[in-house]
Amino acid sequence: MFEIQEELSLDKKLEILSDAAKYDVACTSSGVDRRGQKGMLGNSCAAGVCHTFAADGRCVSLLKILMTNHCIYDCKYCKNRISNDVPRATFSPEEICNLTIEFYKRNYIEGLFLSSGIIQNPNYTMEKMCEALRMLRMEYHFNGYIHVKAIPGASEELLYSAGLLADRISINMELPTQASLEKLAPNKTMTNIIRPMNQISQTIASHRLAIGKSAKMERAGINQKLTHSIFGNTVDKIEGGSSLFLPAERKDRDLRRPFAAAGQSTQMIIGATDETDLELIRTTQSLYQSFDLKRVFYSGYIPINEDDSLPEIGTPVPLLREHRLYQADWLMRYYGFFAEELLSEKNPFFDQKLDPKCNWAIHHLENFPVEINKAPEEVLLRVPGIGPTSVKKIVSARRYGNVNFEMLKKMHVMLKRAQYFITCNGKMLYRTPIEENFIRNQLTDTEKVSVMKIEGQTVQYKQMSLFSDFGLKAGG
Amino acid sequence: MYIYTCEPNLEAMLSCIYDAWTSKRGHKNIKLMLEPVEQLTLFDEYIHVDADSEKVEKVMDAVNMKISPWFYRQLAYSSMAYEEDVLDNMYHCMILGFHHGPDALGMVQYADIMRHNEIRKRLGNEVNRFQEVLRFHQVGEVYIAHFEPKSRIAIALGPIFEDRMPSENFVIVDDIHKEAVVHHKDAHFYMYKLSDEELARLLQTEEENDSYTDMWKVFFDTIAIKERTNKKCQDNLFPMWARKHAVEMN
Ligand code: SF4
Repeated sequence: MFEIQEELSLDKKLEILSDAAKYDVACTSSGVDRRGQKGMLGNSCAAGVCHTFAADGRCVSLLKILMTNHCIYDCKYCKNRISNDVPRATFSPEEICNLTIEFYKRNYIEGLFLSSGIIQNPNYTMEKMCEALRMLRMEYHFNGYIHVKAIPGASEELLYSAGLLADRISINMELPTQASLEKLAPNKTMTNIIRPMNQISQTIASHRLAIGKSAKMERAGINQKLTHSIFGNTVDKIEGGSSLFLPAERKDRDLRRPFAAAGQSTQMIIGATDETDLELIRTTQSLYQSFDLKRVFYSGYIPINEDDSLPEIGTPVPLLREHRLYQADWLMRYYGFFAEELLSEKNPFFDQKLDPKCNWAIHHLENFPVEINKAPEEVLLRVPGIGPTSVKKIVSARRYGNVNFEMLKKMHVMLKRAQYFITCNGKMLYRTPIEENFIRNQLTDTEKVSVMKIEGQTVQYKQMSLFSDFGLKAGG
Repeated sequence: MYIYTCEPNLEAMLSCIYDAWTSKRGHKNIKLMLEPVEQLTLFDEYIHVDADSEKVEKVMDAVNMKISPWFYRQLAYSSMAYEEDVLDNMYHCMILGFHHGPDALGMVQYADIMRHNEIRKRLGNEVNRFQEVLRFHQVGEVYIAHFEPKSRIAIALGPIFEDRMPSENFVIVDDIHKEAVVHHKDAHFYMYKLSDEELARLLQTEEENDSYTDMWKVFFDTIAIKERTNKKCQDNLFPMWARKHAVEMN
């Protein structure tokens, strides 16, 4: 299986194994603050650090690689599936360590994101991954950030080791229903994904309690001010099976590291199967509620394989849909919205032309306008164009006097959006009607530019083609 | 108008504030500016102030004790900024601080406080940006990084990288303001003023690429998903001024 590996140079391996890893969207180095220590290399910053931005505009924060792209499975959407004829490579643990350490010292990265195709079986693969991470932590004294992919089906002992060695651990859900999994990832089962997710979340909670923290992960400060949010009460739990904790494996327990201090995350593929946006954000919500996940990532499906059960090669990546889902995810995590407020059975997809918050607001005009100088925080948070930071600034400024539009502008409130929904000292910015169609048209216009930015080169500004459309010469 | 001027460093700035304050010429008739003063005006009187450790101490004590240590740290931080009016702004924020106490910095109803916040925010972004895009080159046992900030922020990067790599030797060189953070393995960093000759010698180190720089470039090119290429988005997130020393962009 590894016969060609010997001949590959390290940079060739890096090319193959970063290319194979790039479809995983998670690249954040966030979630845990850890000071540096003499004799070790690295620290960790809860806010995360982006070191550069790739040509697709995505932030690069971690050395994102697969340990190997050999795989015995045949997930239809994946480039590394066994039935594909692609160049294959495997890193040795030393190679993984050296790349991480040397990149880190040059300030290229915050740490390592290690995933892998499955060699021999899930246990063997996970064991090999742990071996590399153990070497990185114990022999290379690396104290920076590590995100590790848990291999579904790996033993509980190994998952426990992985969680102790890494800061974040994730199991990709990929597809939100058993039916979609059967169709596209025949070797995977929902139980094999949900069960370890549950165990990991319980183990994180027990480790947190043991060091005097709350069982649940910290959320953005603004959530503490919300009486009503998805993190409040845990209704709608996903059944995660009976066994609760992961058993500790001796050697890694001696590491005395917290278990996955930066929490757990997952990823879902968008657009390969026919789930609605409502189904996706409902699943997201229950994942947050049931397993206290730190993040749920969405990955717009990129057709790489010819397959009857998948969108054709060349089908555009659903970037705008992915963007709307992320916006909804933010609304649930930071703004106190519930999935059911954003979409309904009757209306199960997001309006592509309007962001979900504006869309919600124009359907609830009875709540507006709100007075900036009086409204409580949770009401301000629901105003389009006002985010958690602006809310904080507004509330702080109100302590010393009245707030006016000029000040809002300086606080980076997006008046273009907010103006239809607010008053300052009883007055609106302009005399505009509070009327659904009027506001919708205004906002759709404002949104056009950001829609174009997301769709990148596929959409052009109308003004630019004006001249050629009418056969005019610019400046002539 | 009496215009007090000084060199752009914290000691000189605090001394300048001291002289302006004790001149009793009335806050309204006083302006403070950093040197070099670009455009001299005809009817104003310019008064140059040199750094003086006694004056520095007096201002530090007054702010720390009569307002608060936190307030002092905020002012000291903003003194790194390149903005022309930063010194004048520090002076006016201090006046407000003596009047209202440390809460003054939250009173955005005052134009001076709003301006202070603006400067702080921009400065914070500049520090964060260089924390991200600083690139070290290995030269023997030392890792050397060059950068070209608008503000004199090397001193803010010192503690950040000391925490990140406590047991490495490294030097962070500000090519514009000719100063460097010098860190020896397991020790505390210090600041160093560079002569032209030293700077020229240090500049050569950037030419030396090693195999890991090349591999980083391979990684950077491969990790982008071609079907999602979005140059505009990349340009927005990674402005040109920040790219100069980012090896992967060149
Ligand atoms: S398990 Fe499936 S998704 Fe993972 S590498 Fe193998 S084929 Fe790809």
